[in-house]
Amino acid sequence: MSQNQNRSQTAGLADVFQNDSEKDLYLESYMYTTAAALVGSIDKIVTVTLREGRVFIGVLRTFDQFANLVLQDTVERIYIGDDKYAEAPQGVFLIRGENVSMVGEIDLDQQDKDLEKRAQIPFPEAQRIRKELVASKQAKTTKERELMLSKGFEPQS
Amino acid sequence: MLPLFLLATAKGEPIQVELKNNVTINGYLVDCDSWMNLTLENVLEVDATGEHFKKFPQFYVHGVEIKGVRMDENIIDRARQKEQRARNWNNNNNSNNNQRRNYNNRYSANSSGGNRGNQRQR
Repeated sequence: MSQNQNRSQTAGLADVFQNDSEKDLYLESYMYTTAAALVGSIDKIVTVTLREGRVFIGVLRTFDQFANLVLQDTVERIYIGDDKYAEAPQGVFLIRGENVSMVGEIDLDQQDKDLEKRAQIPFPEAQRIRKELVASKQAKTTKERELMLSKGFEPQS
Repeated sequence: MLPLFLLATAKGEPIQVELKNNVTINGYLVDCDSWMNLTLENVLEVDATGEHFKKFPQFYVHGVEIKGVRMDENIIDRARQKEQRARNWNNNNNSNNNQRRNYNNRYSANSSGGNRGNQRQR
């Protein structure tokens, strides 16, 4: 029975890998590690979203088991609404892994599609707008929370 | 090359550290360790609002508080070269032939102390 199990596992892997050298990079039990997920994105352009919501785009040069990332030619990008964006170059950026929310590889062909309909604005202005949006959203949630508490609803933890 | 190796390569160079509380620390990296604790010198601290500045001759940053570190653009190439040199040096030292040669040289009358005299690779 264990032989059958092994066969089905490797059959699943055969669908995932395109060639033998990719298969060599993976051991079946390591399929869901950080390394397995990131090693394919090395030297590719990635977008990194931090837990606080900031977005950085750059070439992923190296990483480790904590998902500390090193990006080269990094750009911090702010999207405002549907029609504006701003960019600020950062150079080489080492991001500490615990602050990372998501990492995703960017398809070079689709790379600028989301910028097509947007106008670029100066970065400090975008920062200011984002700060205002965050402040107003925070004010709104505190009001909601107070309202719920006054009615007897506790916030879920 | 791992991220912490890259950080160690930046010793002596100016870096910019962003902390979780959005304070930015600009200074020269003196030392770092495997927990990303840093010591810096000649530091300018900018607060989260960007309005207040403080200068410090020495500064210690706890790794846990770091959000990110910005470094000079050339550092990746330099780290790779350093790694390559270290690998070459290790290969030269660890190859079996080398070790036997060292032993022979050390105990022969004509030796100049083995290979040590020739190992000035940089």
